[in-house]
Amino acid sequence: MAITRRQFLKCGSTAAAGALLAPRLFGSSFVQDALAAIGNRYFVVLYLDGGNDGLNTVVPTGGVLRPWYESARGTGAGGLRLELADLANTAIGNDPNTGSSLALHPGFRASPTGGAGDGGLHALYQQGKVAVIQGCGYPDYTLSHEDSRLIFQTGDPSLSLYPGTGWIGRHLADAYAGQSTAIPGVAIRNSVPVDFRQSATSVLAVRRLRDFSFPYDSDYDSPSERTARNTAFNALHASAQSGVDPGFQYIGTAGATTLASTAAYPALHSLYNNNPTRNAFGKLYDNGTPAGVNRSTSRDLLEVAKTIWGTEQGMVNTRFFWVENGGYDTHSDQGAGVTDGQHFGLHAEVGASLKVFYDDLASMGVADRVCIMVYSEFSRRIEQNDNGTDHGSQGPMFLIGGKVAGGVYGNHPRIDPAELDGEGNTRYRQNGSNDGYESTDFRDVYGTILNKWMSVNPLTVLTPDTGDPTRNWTTTNFNMPLFLP
Amino acid sequence: MGDANSTLSEAEARHLLRRTGFDVSEKTVEKWIAGGITRGEAADELLKFKPQGFKPNGNSFEAIHDKWLKFMLKTKAALQEKLVLFWHDHFATGISKVGDPVLMTKQNALLRQYCKGDFKALVKAINRDPATMEYLDTVRNSKDGLNENYGREVQELFTLGVKDSAGNDTYTQEDIVQIARAFTGWRYNEKDEPFLRESRHDFGADKVIYKTTGQFGPAGVNFTAAGTGEGEIDAVIDVIFQHRDTDGRSTVARRTARRLIEFFGTPNPPLDFVDDVVGTGPEAFDQTWIVSGLLRRIFTHDDFYLGAGAPGVADHKSIAWPIDYVVTTLRTLKIKPKGKDLVLAGGEYFAMRDHLSGMGQVLFEPPSVFGWDWESSWISSATLLARYGFVRDLTSARDGGGTSFRPEKLVDLELTDADDIVDAVLAVCGVAALFTNTEKTALANYLTDGAGPIDLADDDYRNRKLNGLFALVLESPAYQLV
Repeated sequence: MAITRRQFLKCGSTAAAGALLAPRLFGSSFVQDALAAIGNRYFVVLYLDGGNDGLNTVVPTGGVLRPWYESARGTGAGGLRLELADLANTAIGNDPNTGSSLALHPGFRASPTGGAGDGGLHALYQQGKVAVIQGCGYPDYTLSHEDSRLIFQTGDPSLSLYPGTGWIGRHLADAYAGQSTAIPGVAIRNSVPVDFRQSATSVLAVRRLRDFSFPYDSDYDSPSERTARNTAFNALHASAQSGVDPGFQYIGTAGATTLASTAAYPALHSLYNNNPTRNAFGKLYDNGTPAGVNRSTSRDLLEVAKTIWGTEQGMVNTRFFWVENGGYDTHSDQGAGVTDGQHFGLHAEVGASLKVFYDDLASMGVADRVCIMVYSEFSRRIEQNDNGTDHGSQGPMFLIGGKVAGGVYGNHPRIDPAELDGEGNTRYRQNGSNDGYESTDFRDVYGTILNKWMSVNPLTVLTPDTGDPTRNWTTTNFNMPLFLP
Repeated sequence: MGDANSTLSEAEARHLLRRTGFDVSEKTVEKWIAGGITRGEAADELLKFKPQGFKPNGNSFEAIHDKWLKFMLKTKAALQEKLVLFWHDHFATGISKVGDPVLMTKQNALLRQYCKGDFKALVKAINRDPATMEYLDTVRNSKDGLNENYGREVQELFTLGVKDSAGNDTYTQEDIVQIARAFTGWRYNEKDEPFLRESRHDFGADKVIYKTTGQFGPAGVNFTAAGTGEGEIDAVIDVIFQHRDTDGRSTVARRTARRLIEFFGTPNPPLDFVDDVVGTGPEAFDQTWIVSGLLRRIFTHDDFYLGAGAPGVADHKSIAWPIDYVVTTLRTLKIKPKGKDLVLAGGEYFAMRDHLSGMGQVLFEPPSVFGWDWESSWISSATLLARYGFVRDLTSARDGGGTSFRPEKLVDLELTDADDIVDAVLAVCGVAALFTNTEKTALANYLTDGAGPIDLADDDYRNRKLNGLFALVLESPAYQLV
């Protein structure tokens, strides 16, 4: 049912209205749009929705941190403590500050289909492909899901500098300025996430590439009818783009981009599946034979893999991706080390999905050109409640990729019960705090990615926080050692 | 400057009916204009409905979803359905966490009962609503394991909001904890009746809130004194509703008014508009908390009618929610989906709830406690394709029977002029005023483009081009707006 390339070109040329829809989606002119600073690299965001409990994600197994951990996380019914036996097979490096040994949650080596396994994020860590960045947050943290998510998505703790635009969106608007038909970003969901929002460049929201085709009336379909429909459709949408109402303009752009993209993106599904090697990997994401991970995170990452493969084959040119996993707001029944616990299941899903995705990328030969960033809006309270955890402050982020310098970065939050703030959360400790427990501003991570992975000046996207006098961000000091040369 | 005594113009009548309902009844427009009705009289007519209950047949998610959808497709009091939608979004509760459709049904009935009534009483009822108690973990809140979820959201989402109009915090984490203490031990029994399990309740008499926000001063307010145990959760709502912005105006009244304006009117209303509809004197919203009075002030305000009636799409438009888009379209084109899954006679036979899910709105399952994201967040390539897919299924529904799309019953087949046909279709779809001449020309060209001479009596031509013209209009940017 997908429109053929020839039909598309015909539609495109008929749409004379369309500087808007010039057929840049194909051929060399489209590929030339690749000259944005990210070059031939890719950037994938994985958002953990709900506030992931960082303390049961990167867990102290020794040193000064362990007794503090055990005093906050109990045992017995509802207890959330991960015992040393639970953590025996998921050790990672030591906390840079205290030297305390650390481990990942045991779910990060399991398979969500039941196997205890030796896969997941921990396997990638052992290959040196994962940077664990502890204690990421911002001063004067908020415990509102909405506000904290927006802070991470806009890159602005004041929530005043960039209403309605995300940090990646602002980068895309700069990097793809003047390329109104470029599709640099795809979000695997129903709507464009705030991280990717901006006003200039188009970001697609795609749930499944296979279904991303324009629904024509198949009973009365013909090339000439499609041409006529598309011409009128494009004229109405072009008119809306020059309207006065912001919503009208937005729909004008979104509709025109959607129609144009339906000509190119559905084919990426079959392009991937028709390649025997890719097809074999594809089964590891969904419910193929043998049964793959088959969770929403893996199925969403499969769509990313198809689009990256399509970009590699010159069909499209999409470099930025967004996927999410939900269910992290574990106020109750969080579960500790048992394999059927909520938090265990979430980590097993994410870890196994990322492992399949990374292996697929490695097989494509692009793993060194992909960076995956995992974040959540906040962590959770150090002291658990009956059987869950309430909203907290700083938490870990992950970077994953062939050129990511694996290891542990950032200091573990100071979970000493005597040092928690009045709300029972770890304090954000500013740069230069004299006890060594400095927190990591999440914008240090963003800035380093912008600086080193996207090769742009982070200050074109982020505004330094003037409220923190210990900060003196410049282009060059967004410079965490997170990437290999 | 107009007010409640201004005579309603035809453009204003259409605007008011579309914003407060779904399809625009031509009969009502004619009656109102012929009678020289005022804005105030029109608002009173819309607001006079008797709240209607909600009793679905069956206890599955599908049953309650489709029951509500059918309500919207049939109702003569469309404003009630819009209000219940608003409150469902405001007190967002999702069935995937609540689990029991019966509890969702009871909450929906509660929202119907209070939809235009006493907002403060509604919040107090929500305190004790079993679906909310599940969704926001009140049932898991105990003196030995404080769960802050409801204590936070009752302030952030149901009443105060995070910041006041001057940008100052309205509450602190300390206030969340104190309010969470009041809700410890609240459970519901097998008859879904709420009760206080005293062994789980924190009876401490030192529950004090708002020492550092609002107008209460450093001593704050001790709401324990208003009663111990059961009385605390009402007392705390009374305190919240007294909260004042930095400039002394009511925080809850302003925030609620703003959200209702944004829902029925336009995004980002100026503060003056908000304060006007909160009102002054004994009838003010912060005195009565009666929603219908607030709505009347919205529906009679000049700012509500900005953007009504200009040729083409003026500013101050709002993007139709998916449920509004679907219900309005089906009602306007007089199509009744069939079967227990509410499918259309053609297309892919998708259940109507699957169409809506693709567009980003599943009733009884908002994406989170924040409800749905409005305005341009409704629009993406994925959700637009879902809207287009619904349009395709609808305009290709030719299988016969009462659920078919029958453009021949909507448009005079004797018409031969392309411009006349375009005007007729735009009028049927209720968007005649929203299209410029250039846009109409593009549609007229479609009727002749790639086809022979215009002949609506010819089955092949009509099935292709008249149905196609309807599809283009329903897909158009202007049609996505209210």
